[in-house]
Amino acid sequence: MCEELLRRQFEVRGRDFDKAGDTSAEVRSILTDLGLDPDVVLRAALVTFEAEMNVVMYAQKGTVTFVLTENEVRVDVVDDGPGIPDLELAMQEGYSTATDEMREMGFGYGMGLPNMKKHSDVFLLESEVGKGTHVGCRVHLGQR
Amino acid sequence: MIQLKHGFRILDEHCRGCLSCMRACPTHAIRVKDGKARYRAGNCIDCGQCLKACPHSAITATTWPLEHLDRYKFKVALPSPVLFGQFPTGITSTHIADGLRTIGFDAVRDYSVEVGMVSRATADYVANWNGAFPLITVTCPVVVRLVQVSYPRMVEQLIHVQLPRELAARELKRRFAAELGLAAGDIAAIYITPCQAKTISILQPAEEVESHLDGALAISGVYNAIVAYANTRKNDGGGAEEPFLHSAFFLRWSAGEGLGDVTSRHGTLRVTGLANVIQVFDDIEKGRLRNVSVLDAYACWSGCLGGNLTVANVYVTSSKLQSLISRLPETDAETSAEIERRYPCEDCALARPIRPRPVQGSTGTLRERVRTMELAETLRAALPGLDCGLCGAPTCRDMARDISTGEASSRDCVFLSTDRLRRLQQLYLSTGHA
Repeated sequence: MCEELLRRQFEVRGRDFDKAGDTSAEVRSILTDLGLDPDVVLRAALVTFEAEMNVVMYAQKGTVTFVLTENEVRVDVVDDGPGIPDLELAMQEGYSTATDEMREMGFGYGMGLPNMKKHSDVFLLESEVGKGTHVGCRVHLGQR
Repeated sequence: MIQLKHGFRILDEHCRGCLSCMRACPTHAIRVKDGKARYRAGNCIDCGQCLKACPHSAITATTWPLEHLDRYKFKVALPSPVLFGQFPTGITSTHIADGLRTIGFDAVRDYSVEVGMVSRATADYVANWNGAFPLITVTCPVVVRLVQVSYPRMVEQLIHVQLPRELAARELKRRFAAELGLAAGDIAAIYITPCQAKTISILQPAEEVESHLDGALAISGVYNAIVAYANTRKNDGGGAEEPFLHSAFFLRWSAGEGLGDVTSRHGTLRVTGLANVIQVFDDIEKGRLRNVSVLDAYACWSGCLGGNLTVANVYVTSSKLQSLISRLPETDAETSAEIERRYPCEDCALARPIRPRPVQGSTGTLRERVRTMELAETLRAALPGLDCGLCGAPTCRDMARDISTGEASSRDCVFLSTDRLRRLQQLYLSTGHA
């Protein structure tokens, strides 16, 4: 049942604000072309966007892996960033370690991780300080 | 899936298969097969770029003929504000309204009150909204269809408030039915439209209900009759009565400024021109547009002033409207009182939600659709990537997709089959109009 139908991998570079959003746009375009439910497309694109923004803001580089099965969309992001010391605190809405510069660009309102959790059916966050972070999101396709 | 009604037709006898319309179409809804252009109805958003692009007048727009009016006992015209900027100096709003009566209308109404109500309802809608931003105005039917077809997950961001012309049609039927003792079905509310797209939105509203309007006449269709009438009046010194227009904000609606309250209270971005609208929508999808509450978007770069059924030069129209606006009071007591009275007791919301109309890859199981998509990607890599259009599809990407779904053959590509070139030579060189 959970056999992979489609797998794509994207490299995201840290500090590359110019290209930020391209990965989620690509995911969105694939899912739209496949004629998936707009709600699923929206949620999958949202979690991908927040995930790639976290890489852009905090890491040197990261990898977004996008997998489609009969039942769900999986988005996994692994980065080599500083890691998150307190996962519970990081999941609080409004908590942010963004710099002023990031905020001026309209990011870093402390909603990234909470939003990803909110829009995922299954949400996983693992992190090791000094090594990096893995965020995993699953969005169920629902009835179609 | 509901069949979309469309306002354009290709006349085979005039079509030379020149590819102009195919290249102009922003949603890639045209293919050229055997030397003739064909629509893909599901992708068409009625923007009219094809009509403008066709050098052989092979594309026509659907309009209601004037005789259509004869079926009704009482006919009311609801002119778009754009109409009042169309005529030479000396032809007043009163001449225009009276001119419409000579064509066969029993009454002509301006819908200032409804513009005021919609402006308020929109401001309230934005203030009470707790979903995703920006919200998108629904004044331009092409923008609405673009969202439905190409940005289906943004449909909930469309502002679900009725248009002034619809509210006005509903009200005038109620009112004249009561005053004249007629059935609502005997009364026709006819919009005088600056563009084809609005005609379609009356034929088939985006929210899948019946329009309150019964038809539309093109500004270009009533123009000559109004000018002819006004010329007779100018000669006998007419036009001194009570002017037809009372307030400036009715005219502002046409310039996209009729949103009044919304623009001043919320961050509004006005975007015109289909290519620009598409670019901004892409930015929204990429999360690059923040801190904008309302997107006021129009398919025509000049807003509604340069609609494809207008007559006058768009700059002249704009200047005339500005001049009229400067001479009229912003509003009048009667209009304001009427807005106050009606707004609390009328429902301005759309009767049903606008739903997405995604078109691609939606047949077969998910597994099959993935396979088709991957096939298209493989095919695309084998095509030259020049988007020459000689295969009859606007881009190599479209061609790859068409082949993957069985709607085209790789033998239609001149790079992959020299046979294709020979067939094109026969088709295009022997028709003798080079």
